[in-house]
Amino acid sequence: MKAGAPIIHEGIERNIAANPRYNLGDVDKAFKEADHVFEDRLETQRVAHVCPEPHNCVAVWDHDGKLTFYYCSQMPSVTRVQLAKALGMPESKIRVITNHVGGGFGSRATSKFPMDFAAIVLARKAGRPVKIEYARDEEFIFSTFRHKFIMTVKTGIKNDGTITGRHITNICDNGAYCDYGPVVTNVGGAMQGTLYRFMNYRYDGYTVYTNLPYGGAMRGIGNPQVHYAGETQLNMIAERLGMDPLEIRIKNAVRTGDETATGAILKSCGLVECLEEVAKEIGWKEKRAHPVPNRGLGIACGVHFTGVRLSPGIDADFAGATLTINDDGSVNLATSCVDIGSGSSTALTQIAAEVLGIEMEKINTIFGDTETCPMGWGSRASRNTAVGGMAIQKAAEDARKQILEAAGEKLEVHPDDLDIRNSTVFVKAAPSKCLSVSDVVRLNRYRKDGQAIMAKSHWDAPSQLADPVTGRGNFSMAFSYGAKAIEVEVDPGTGQIQILKVAASQDLGKAINPLGAMGQIEGGVHMGLGFGMSEDMVLDDEGRMKNNYLLDYRMLTSLDMPPVSIILVETNDPVGPFGAKGVGEMATIGTADAFVSAVQKATGLFLTDLPVTPEKVLLALKKKEST
Amino acid sequence: MKKKIKLTVNDELHELEVENRRSLLEVIREDLHLLGTKKMCDMGECGSCTVLMDGVAVNSCLVLAVEAEGKKIETIEGVAQGGKLHPIQEEFVAKGGVQCGYCSPGMIMTAKAFLEKNANPSEEEAKTAIAGNFCRCTGYIRIVEAILSAADRMRE
Repeated sequence: MKAGAPIIHEGIERNIAANPRYNLGDVDKAFKEADHVFEDRLETQRVAHVCPEPHNCVAVWDHDGKLTFYYCSQMPSVTRVQLAKALGMPESKIRVITNHVGGGFGSRATSKFPMDFAAIVLARKAGRPVKIEYARDEEFIFSTFRHKFIMTVKTGIKNDGTITGRHITNICDNGAYCDYGPVVTNVGGAMQGTLYRFMNYRYDGYTVYTNLPYGGAMRGIGNPQVHYAGETQLNMIAERLGMDPLEIRIKNAVRTGDETATGAILKSCGLVECLEEVAKEIGWKEKRAHPVPNRGLGIACGVHFTGVRLSPGIDADFAGATLTINDDGSVNLATSCVDIGSGSSTALTQIAAEVLGIEMEKINTIFGDTETCPMGWGSRASRNTAVGGMAIQKAAEDARKQILEAAGEKLEVHPDDLDIRNSTVFVKAAPSKCLSVSDVVRLNRYRKDGQAIMAKSHWDAPSQLADPVTGRGNFSMAFSYGAKAIEVEVDPGTGQIQILKVAASQDLGKAINPLGAMGQIEGGVHMGLGFGMSEDMVLDDEGRMKNNYLLDYRMLTSLDMPPVSIILVETNDPVGPFGAKGVGEMATIGTADAFVSAVQKATGLFLTDLPVTPEKVLLALKKKEST
Repeated sequence: MKKKIKLTVNDELHELEVENRRSLLEVIREDLHLLGTKKMCDMGECGSCTVLMDGVAVNSCLVLAVEAEGKKIETIEGVAQGGKLHPIQEEFVAKGGVQCGYCSPGMIMTAKAFLEKNANPSEEEAKTAIAGNFCRCTGYIRIVEAILSAADRMRE
């Protein structure tokens, strides 16, 4: 970025690949109106997805020159579009098949792995199927990672705790090539302007090429990093001013009905409730009133979108569903959403079952085949349950209407007077007058001018592309809020940090599958704690990863995990299916922030660069003693 | 070099000719087509390929197939009996111990060997038992709950 630095790609000035910005309200004025202005620099490290299933693919060409590509994609329809473009082939000549995927976390929301093309080209040349799979050490190197961010946060605050404005500068170490770098740099900026009520907000993001490994999309796509900076700094400000970090948050938190600085319109928002719930669960007030030496409490909150329209030039955020009812009363449901381990196929099947009045076990939900499933943006951006679910709800409503009309004709009653439960269509006023769904399908199909019961839906979420100059726009159909509170105990002799408890709350609109949602949050906390305290891709002097093995790349094991209390907050969003919003990404956001803030409180040290390891704590404590 | 071996897998006797260098994991997946046993790291660091060899949980990627000569191997496919899931499997489902499912076969095999030795474990013991099994989707909490609750049921 520095003037005169060697240029990595010809024609890219100062190595800046992208410069996403938000310039809303007047931050300079906001800083003048503030009683205090603080500026802090915080850094995050590279962390890896570490999907349990290593990336793998099989390429098969048939005698007609058609390619079938078996690939662990989060978005097979998009993989097909990308391959068609890269190979110069029509989409119809490419079939992408994805099965259940062993974890994704964003790493499979792309199709730029070198192995794709190697397998495809080799298979073409050999005239035989070619399989390529990465070994674990290769997986670390090739599957991209969470970008390293270097952030400066400047915040203006009044004596009563009101935040007047914020200016964040973020340098994203993009690595040598662009994967999701520009979007990653953008999203964190967008979301930090969607959390608190201040309307003066400036964000200068720089996606900068370096001659290092390149990052990609990872659970929260840039948002966990910028939230880390914003939330940790807010706790540092509270500490400097002797304020309560919980009260500052509640005072400034956005609420239902707000239009935020970034232009997000909050049709549902449970942020305040999320904060109050974790505070209650961790014992915030009592514990802060009676501090124990070497112990500390930290709190942080966050927001993430449910599907998004931030990619410049693509004004779409859709999912698809097709639904056929068989003559045995079972259902074939095809969705554009791949289950990458989030349990989305369970939630989507539940939605179809609820609308149709047909039992879940009778619904065969299929996904991941571009020839039998509709087009959709795939499993990313916390969108499966809400965006994918809405497509299913619409298709199921259509099929339901068809069943009721056909049954009404047979039973000689108006369709409005009918209901369906347990695969039986019955007259509401006289339930004994009924037909099975199976009978309705048969009667409607095997007759003159008959019809099958089948339906389709392509649902584009109601959101808008942001203004290219200011960055303002209602860029998502819904926003999920959440909070984390963490208590730690630090051993001053060794720097060891023991996490005593984590409380995590999330406003997910409506928990379609509560067990699955809680599992997502538990996993999000696990990944967030790793981000906060131990995970780090260590590079050597030449930029090669040194710790690309599971025992060297330190993730929390079963023995390291603290107890986690999970609180689901339901705000019933008016847009999503049955009120649902996204879960997966917000689940991890705020964890590292609350963890580091707790360590700061326990040690009295403003450690700001992730990961905050025992070694860093010990060195800082020693340095403090010697001064 | 190849060698003829006999081994019992899920109560079925197999006679195979295998390259000396091949791991038990490879032979289970590629020769016997039992795809439930997963490969995550192939170097004994993750536990996802855990199978039982004469009742002991082993990383099948670290066992040469020829070492399994004459042994009794149990894989995840052998855990459900007569079309009915084992209590450990049922509790993994009921408690939400499964997300993407890739680590689940190894977790369940580890848990099975553990519970056969320790019928009434503490939470700490259950956590220790799976400390060598890697999961990226959960935070292990629901997995530990599933193991403890399976232990309760298996004692009844």
